[in-house]
Amino acid sequence: MPNLQGLIRRGTFGLLESVVPPITVPAWACMVTGRDPGALGIYGFRNRKDHSYDGLAIAMSHSVSEPTIWDRLGAAGLRSVVVGVPPSFPPKPLRGLMVSCFLTPSAQSEYTWPASLKPDLEARFGEYLFDVTDFRTEDKSALLRRVHAVTAQKFAIARHLAETAAWDFLMFVDMGPDRLHHGFWKYWDRQHIKYQAGNPFEGAFPEYYAFLDRQIGELLGVIGEDTAVLVVSDHGAKRMDGAICVNEWLRREGYLTLREPPRNVQRLEPAMVDWSRTRAWGEGGYYSRIFLNVKGREPQGVVDPAAVEGLRTELIQGLEALGDEAGRPIGTRVYRPEELYPTARGVPPDLIAIFGDLYWRSVGSVGLLQVWTRENDTGPDDANHAQSGMFVAAGLSMPPGQMSGMRLLDIAPLLARHFELDGTH
Amino acid sequence: MDRVADGMKDRVTDEMKDRVTDGMTGEVTEGLSEGFTVWFTGLPSSGKSTLAGLLAEALTGGGLRVETLDGDAVRTVLTKGLGFSREDRDENIRRIAWLSRLLNRHGVVAITAAISPYRAAREQARADIGRFVEVYVNCPLEVAMARDVKGLYARARRGEIAQFTGVSDPYEEPLTPEVVVQTDQESPRESLQKILGHLREAGWVREGMTPVALPTYLVERLQRRWGEAFELRVTDLLSREALGAEEGIQETERAQIMDRLRSLGYLD
Repeated sequence: MPNLQGLIRRGTFGLLESVVPPITVPAWACMVTGRDPGALGIYGFRNRKDHSYDGLAIAMSHSVSEPTIWDRLGAAGLRSVVVGVPPSFPPKPLRGLMVSCFLTPSAQSEYTWPASLKPDLEARFGEYLFDVTDFRTEDKSALLRRVHAVTAQKFAIARHLAETAAWDFLMFVDMGPDRLHHGFWKYWDRQHIKYQAGNPFEGAFPEYYAFLDRQIGELLGVIGEDTAVLVVSDHGAKRMDGAICVNEWLRREGYLTLREPPRNVQRLEPAMVDWSRTRAWGEGGYYSRIFLNVKGREPQGVVDPAAVEGLRTELIQGLEALGDEAGRPIGTRVYRPEELYPTARGVPPDLIAIFGDLYWRSVGSVGLLQVWTRENDTGPDDANHAQSGMFVAAGLSMPPGQMSGMRLLDIAPLLARHFELDGTH
Repeated sequence: MDRVADGMKDRVTDEMKDRVTDGMTGEVTEGLSEGFTVWFTGLPSSGKSTLAGLLAEALTGGGLRVETLDGDAVRTVLTKGLGFSREDRDENIRRIAWLSRLLNRHGVVAITAAISPYRAAREQARADIGRFVEVYVNCPLEVAMARDVKGLYARARRGEIAQFTGVSDPYEEPLTPEVVVQTDQESPRESLQKILGHLREAGWVREGMTPVALPTYLVERLQRRWGEAFELRVTDLLSREALGAEEGIQETERAQIMDRLRSLGYLD
């Protein structure tokens, strides 16, 4: 990747440690505000809005209650162009331009600020590709083409706005690499349990990254060398070894009781649960959130508030001791939110479980009849998120070379310093 | 108010604390969000109460906290026992002005609708209150007498009420009111628009002010932060509120997003 290498040569680079959980929406929101998930009250794609069993609200642009870097730049009279930074639907007005992110319902939605930007972009670039469609397909050739198309369009829009709009700060998020990782990891990583030598997509990774680097090069050509550049990721990626069926484990251990045994694999719905005999339930995803059914808090709570701490300790010990099918330890960590965040706004989960150092994901469905699965319940997926991603900074006031210890939460303060916001310099 | 930034409570200075008047909440309330007073003056039956009511409705709808001090109502409590001598009338005005100022200090817009016939008393009220908009409700005596909403002119003319403004007591027209409305020529709505127009031009209220009661300091802070996008952004937040959806999206949009998140593996 010669263009990225060029940035590395003239700047600073290293791993960028994400937040817990290292998940797209909380992570980007944390990066652009400099606040952790607890301070934002954003613990995942969906967050409990109350203590009901089905009260999960999708984290949207409005969920970000703290000022973003472009809010602060706007307050200082500086203009921003923001494209595809989650969560940015519905687009919030700002001093500058915004195109909302992959949480945009459809191209029919009003996804730009100002609204007049939408027809202009569509006239130039066709329908806006918020994300890779039909992601869970087995037609990998078509999927790979769509991943390339999303990246190509995102960079084309970034180049266009970089050239035509007035801006002091331009930020865009390309979901292409993440989609490539989830969709194609097993074709490339020889350590992946499903890797097959000589498969037709062995070249998908290097080809995509070469293509991505050309896109970076073209954009750098547009913005020129006197512009400071940050390349950052909200999380890393790693192979996925398997999944822990968290609700199956909770059932097995007697924490969760269903009204009737599930006949097939299905999403856990509140109506399926016998709440009078349920102390805990969990959510699936790249990590797991576990909620307790607490008396006086949940509608049909059974756990005495005085017993909550004991129950949490029990669950932590049980899940952390749970290895793979053969009983080999996998390095699961289960956190109390208060261990991770000084403040926890909104309704935080009672526990946050990171299975097998993120080599394992969480499956929330029931009916699998076992605690482990090597197949994802929502279709093929070969990668999970890794705690650390990457950063490259060129043109910013930082010591050159490799830098360790950089955190995603450092990015907003770094930008504030660069732009001399709040008297920082 | 630059000092009042993020983490406001932590950074409240002693000086600000001194200005806390309610002493209950520990919040800085005084001096950050001041109201103003719209002072209607005019003959009996000139239309003061009608316009005060319309104005109160408009400003309340614009998100402001409003209190109307109607002359008749005030005299039943606050100034009960006062008569209609010049001295008592001045005392009546002095008390209304005092209360108006108090309301203003707590961010409430005071609208007064009392005859307030004496120029000197009104000028004193202006000086005491400071944030003061005088609206002269101009209506020829014969028109007001013809209206005679409460039948008082008739009683005054029959000698049943002494010291009745316009009949047996003087009314001193304002010399430099901020707004003059001609209620014999304008509809109440036209007069209201005139008053609102002045309030906007003079900066007491803002065009398109959104229906939310935001303290002034917060408005200023958000304006600095959002710049030209301020109004739209506030409207945006309010429309989310109106939708009653935590996510600020419609149900169909929610379903589309959920489908995508599932497809991408973020949920199960």
